[in-house]
Amino acid sequence: MSVTPSWIGLVAHLHITARAFLPMRAMEQIELVPGEGILGDRYRIGVEEGFYSAKPEPGRQVTLFEEEALEAIRRDHGIELRPEEHRRNVTTRGVPLTHLVGRRFRLGDCLLEATRLSIPCRHIEEILEKPVFDPMINRSGLNCRVLEGGTVRLGDPIRPA
Amino acid sequence: MRHIRLALRAAEPAGPGIRLLTLMDPDGWPLPRWRPGAHIDLHLPNGLTRAYSLCGDPAEADRWRIAVKREPGGRGGSAWLHDALAVGGELPASLPRCTFPLAEGARRHLLLAGGIGVTPFLPMAAALAGSGADHHLHLLHRGPPPLPAQLGALGDRITLHDTSGGRPDLGRLLGPSEPGTEAYCCGPPGLIEAFLAAWPAERARVEHFTPPPLPPLPDSRPFTLVLARSGRRLDLPAGAPLLPALHALGAAVESSCEGGICGACRVRWLEGPPIHRDRILRPGERETHLMACVAGCAGPRLVLDL
Ligand code: FES
Repeated sequence: MSVTPSWIGLVAHLHITARAFLPMRAMEQIELVPGEGILGDRYRIGVEEGFYSAKPEPGRQVTLFEEEALEAIRRDHGIELRPEEHRRNVTTRGVPLTHLVGRRFRLGDCLLEATRLSIPCRHIEEILEKPVFDPMINRSGLNCRVLEGGTVRLGDPIRPA
Repeated sequence: MRHIRLALRAAEPAGPGIRLLTLMDPDGWPLPRWRPGAHIDLHLPNGLTRAYSLCGDPAEADRWRIAVKREPGGRGGSAWLHDALAVGGELPASLPRCTFPLAEGARRHLLLAGGIGVTPFLPMAAALAGSGADHHLHLLHRGPPPLPAQLGALGDRITLHDTSGGRPDLGRLLGPSEPGTEAYCCGPPGLIEAFLAAWPAERARVEHFTPPPLPPLPDSRPFTLVLARSGRRLDLPAGAPLLPALHALGAAVESSCEGGICGACRVRWLEGPPIHRDRILRPGERETHLMACVAGCAGPRLVLDL
């Protein structure tokens, strides 16, 4: 029996940063390693450079953020938050992130498991000089674990597994 | 703690007793953005923390520049940066904090520097020149001026005043304080004092090198320090400083100047009211935040969002 997915989204932006607090870099594609995270990113398990901001977290190997949330923050709070500023790795289009906690889904060919919703960090206001902490409460993205790795490219589909 | 690692990529002499340092991420990754007037704290291996204004170009995303003057009578901070830090050496630093921003909307900007206090004004003057704003920098110095190459780039927007024969009259130098003219001063305490005596406070901005002496806490009384998130609390005697108490409670609050001028120890408060003795929070910010290094409490409980 085949299941028709109720939604299909796509990868709108990809970003990584080598270390906590340094600017995010836009990527055309990223490399996911099962059980670890993204090559070159600060949250990859075993080579964490996010140490100062948080302890290594097995459930936070890849982070996602809805492009729609950026639009909502602009609409509701008049704050322009750009894709490289929310500090999550994958900016998604058309994906109900908040409904995925505890579920598995495909990011391109990779298989991810969503562990919990991300929480915003106060430091982000300091880094950006924008009052985005309160607006980001409850829409700060999703933390995931990598079950099957591979290459993720801009425009790749995201769908339920 | 919110630190990033910097590596010394280049160092060159830049005037009398001054070493100009170029600092980068160890792998050349872009650094956090900053605005003219920002400074960083460097955490030195001898336990000292030292604040330096960023004096390079904010458009250079992967490098920060600071100018370190050797302070012979100091506690060894500048000596370490001069003698012990070699190219390739690394050290932790804070994120940039802008406590000396340009006044948006001012028609004219008068910048007054004392000696090495010229450092924040280099990017500020460049930004003003870039936006076509009316501005002029007056640099008071004794003997050869600091950073001669960088000053040369300012062309006729700078006037040097050698004070070997005495300090010029600041009132005459700055001229009449018309509305729309903002004046800025960075330098030793004596110069800042003279500047504030010569120019109206509402159109004046100052950046201190060293914290000014603290006013005593008026009618202080014992209070209970409460950390709202962890639920920890501590009874404190009248006038007790907050930072050691916060550290005793395990709260990770940073500090640098410990004199209410650098912005490192900013904390959100929920119940107080606090007694503010810092020099950087604006009135509106004081409704929600305090600087823990110098703040006190006027009520029976001080509840912090920690
Ligand atoms: S430590 Fe500098 S303002 Fe408190």
